[in-house]
Amino acid sequence: MSKQGEHKQEFNDRREKDLLRHILKTSLSYKLWVGFLILVILIGTYGYYRQLKYGLIVTAMRDYTSWGIYISNFVFFVAISLVGSLFSSILKLNKNEWSKPLTRISEIIAVSAIICAIVIIIVDMGRPDRFFYVIKYLRIQSPIIWDVIIISTYLVISLILLYTSLLPDVALCRDRLTAVPKWKKKLYRIMAINWHNDPKQVAMLQKVTKILAISVLPVAFAIHTVTSWLFATTWRPGWDSTNLGPYFVSGAFMAGAAAIIIAMYFIRKFINLNAYITESHFDKMGKLLVLLSLVYLYFNINEYLGPAFKMVGVEGEHITELFVGKYAPMYWFVQLGGLVLPIVLLLFKGMRRSLPISIISTFIILGAWFKRFLIVIPSLQHPYLPIQGVDESYLHYNPTWEEWTITLASFAWFLLIITVLIKLFPIIPIQKHEHVSKRHPILNFQK
Amino acid sequence: MEDNEHKTDSRRGFLKKISTGSILAASGLAFSSLSSCKNKSTEKTTLLTPDGKLVQVPNSEIEAMEHLYHGAPPKEARKGIPGKKFVMVVDLSKCKNARKCVQACDKHHNLTPDRPYIKVLEMQDNEESSPYWMPKKCFQCDNPPCVKVCPVGATFKRTDGIVLIDNERCIGCRFCMAACPYSARVFNWGNPPEGKLDIPYSPETSLPSKHGTVAKCDFCPDMLRQDKLPHCVSACPNGVIYFGNELEDAVTNGEETVRLSTLLRDKAGYRYMEELGTKPRVYYLPPVDRLFPFEKENSENKTS
Amino acid sequence: MKTTIINIIWILKISWSLLFIFFNFHMVLGQEDESMEDAKIALDFVADTDSKFIVATATNSNNEPIEDLELYFYVKRSFSNLPIGDIFNATDENGTVKIEFPNDLPGDSEGNVTILVKVIDSDLYNDLTIETIKKWGVPSLPPDQFQEKRSLWAAAANAPIPLILIISALIFSIWFIIFYIIYMFFKISKIEIINSKSY
Repeated sequence: MSKQGEHKQEFNDRREKDLLRHILKTSLSYKLWVGFLILVILIGTYGYYRQLKYGLIVTAMRDYTSWGIYISNFVFFVAISLVGSLFSSILKLNKNEWSKPLTRISEIIAVSAIICAIVIIIVDMGRPDRFFYVIKYLRIQSPIIWDVIIISTYLVISLILLYTSLLPDVALCRDRLTAVPKWKKKLYRIMAINWHNDPKQVAMLQKVTKILAISVLPVAFAIHTVTSWLFATTWRPGWDSTNLGPYFVSGAFMAGAAAIIIAMYFIRKFINLNAYITESHFDKMGKLLVLLSLVYLYFNINEYLGPAFKMVGVEGEHITELFVGKYAPMYWFVQLGGLVLPIVLLLFKGMRRSLPISIISTFIILGAWFKRFLIVIPSLQHPYLPIQGVDESYLHYNPTWEEWTITLASFAWFLLIITVLIKLFPIIPIQKHEHVSKRHPILNFQK
Repeated sequence: MEDNEHKTDSRRGFLKKISTGSILAASGLAFSSLSSCKNKSTEKTTLLTPDGKLVQVPNSEIEAMEHLYHGAPPKEARKGIPGKKFVMVVDLSKCKNARKCVQACDKHHNLTPDRPYIKVLEMQDNEESSPYWMPKKCFQCDNPPCVKVCPVGATFKRTDGIVLIDNERCIGCRFCMAACPYSARVFNWGNPPEGKLDIPYSPETSLPSKHGTVAKCDFCPDMLRQDKLPHCVSACPNGVIYFGNELEDAVTNGEETVRLSTLLRDKAGYRYMEELGTKPRVYYLPPVDRLFPFEKENSENKTS
Repeated sequence: MKTTIINIIWILKISWSLLFIFFNFHMVLGQEDESMEDAKIALDFVADTDSKFIVATATNSNNEPIEDLELYFYVKRSFSNLPIGDIFNATDENGTVKIEFPNDLPGDSEGNVTILVKVIDSDLYNDLTIETIKKWGVPSLPPDQFQEKRSLWAAAANAPIPLILIISALIFSIWFIIFYIIYMFFKISKIEIINSKSY
């Protein structure tokens, strides 16, 4: 056996061991984490039980602010879900090698986010018992129907995307993991669908990957563009904009990239993948994040400059409210703390190290969530006709504890799905064919 | 053209003259009529409900309940009354925020005063111009943004121009509320205030209202089916609201009947925010040469 | 306090009206016996090339023309009667009054309008209504014009065809790819181990 072959063998063995380890060993922190998430979900379930019992009256939504944090949360999750396509399509088609270990994380986040988006939109319905009327009485003219179609399509595509890259690894789990419970063995066996690294199978899988990489991109753009049309097809100030589609899509990519960075940080920390997710990955992600944020900044300027310059009627009132009014603190936190400042900071190499960039990404995610709050709620509070002659509570919107717990529960769901998927499958694609040098970090990493 | 109005006015004048002349004679009757009034309100009538039960209803409630049975069931209510296109004209120069339209609407649609279908808004077009009252209902647009966005066709446009909501189909997504530029729609956030009304549901009256669904002004199609005016029109003491069939080119406020085309032409009728292209079926006549001074503290509007 | 006053005012009002009706009733009855009589109204419909007129002639029981009798002309509409003619239409010394019928007034789908001529509240003659159906109106649109057209606000069944085509094409193309991929997975699962090569 040649020296190169020896390296390769050692490299592969080490990889397998490192990347499958967390599936076999269940740590206490994992159990505590899952327990915590389930607790949050249970509290949210109680909130939802109350909402089912008493109706949407338990929320702070009223006739003018008829959409609240459920909808902004929905838009947020749809935004996060776009990240799957960023890695599996854009970076893959550009032949980026460095992004490959992050593909699985992004795909898992995408699947989890899109599931949560579906769940939260059902929570927002006044009559969830009539959910299937959407199919029974489907009206193709409605943007909601377009959104239902595209979201279900994207859910299926995201699952296929995840599964496609997972297939060889699942087969590996089936072959290598003997000390796992029976149900897990069965799961791996069914999911591996007779995969045995046959060259014909590899060729077909590569073909599938290629088709997917191309076809997921228009679907991903469509899902968030159609979601933006839920707003852009109305006359509300801030929504009545032709800029909304690209504005939403660019914001989604930024938020998704930030979500990946946070996920990278915790996965690396808790399943000891320092050799696989390296500082160089954070650095590259930092640069990518700056690029995506700049695009988003560009669309932000486009979104606000025109109306702010013209100050037309309610549009002007809406802008004033955001810039210097009731929502000014939140608005400037979002625009400066969640967009401008991160761009500036991430220009410095020191800020692109794992810890600082994760903190910056947390601010971006917070900014992204509150940005969607600012997109949905203030617009509804500035109708063309003045708000008069209604109950005092109709004038403000301060989400109730039921809304907050349900929203937090949706986050817990999001994290729980990610956690469970990470626990079940290797988080870094194991099977890859690359040239291995003696100085490869996986072979030289000191624990 | 205006002889109808003229006639009623002269009649009123006559009635007033007679009345003043007989104050003394009449005051003697005051006590006896008070007691008879009381009797009337406690009397009960036995009625047959649609599901074949006999119920005792106080006489005072009969008028309110009566109209409920005229609303067509959901499937029929989608069709619209043949050969009609309903239209409303609101004369802003006559409105003094008496709020009788709001009260009549609330009563017949079983609404609580904090979320009425009709709003009388205090408007001021610019700082220099005088404020005025603007009664606002659903505009029943011919290019209705709310109907366009409904995912299940729960809200629909009828051939007679009316936009209605089928609360047995509404899924409560509230997209229509976001889409309506006139904030005409309200939502049944909680359980209906009236409790359980034991009558069959009709989109034409929106009764009994259903929690988790949308509601709005409906032009009272149950009344229109009987060739009667909507409650707000007949309740208005100042003849502000004209209503009619556009295809007959006539509108009436209950007292005078005028040609729609003449009215809109002579009084510069307009539709609110024409630039949105929603083509409302409610016209406004500008608040010029007003009958009443603008008073914010009206004795009538304090009550609600 | 305020409500009490209102109540008293109401009671007074009701009492006055009752009294008024009571007296009036007697007056009407009394008058009918002595001086009230029935007027006869003959209607003549004159149609020129570009204008239409209603000529009404009022005569009393002795076939003498009635002068200065106030006549009211209406066209029946859904909720009320639309007055036509001038504000006041009194008969002349020949007992006739001529009013112009508007050329552009809509009728039913065949152009029929119901014209009403009334004597109301006259001091000398009883109230009277003559109803005539005339084909003088502008025919309204035939019923098929009211059928819902394909539009964004129409019912589901009447969605615009381009919209249906575009959305169907998009759904079809993306789901075709999805099903093709699922088929590929099916084919992958069917490849049996021939030259076993575990890695």
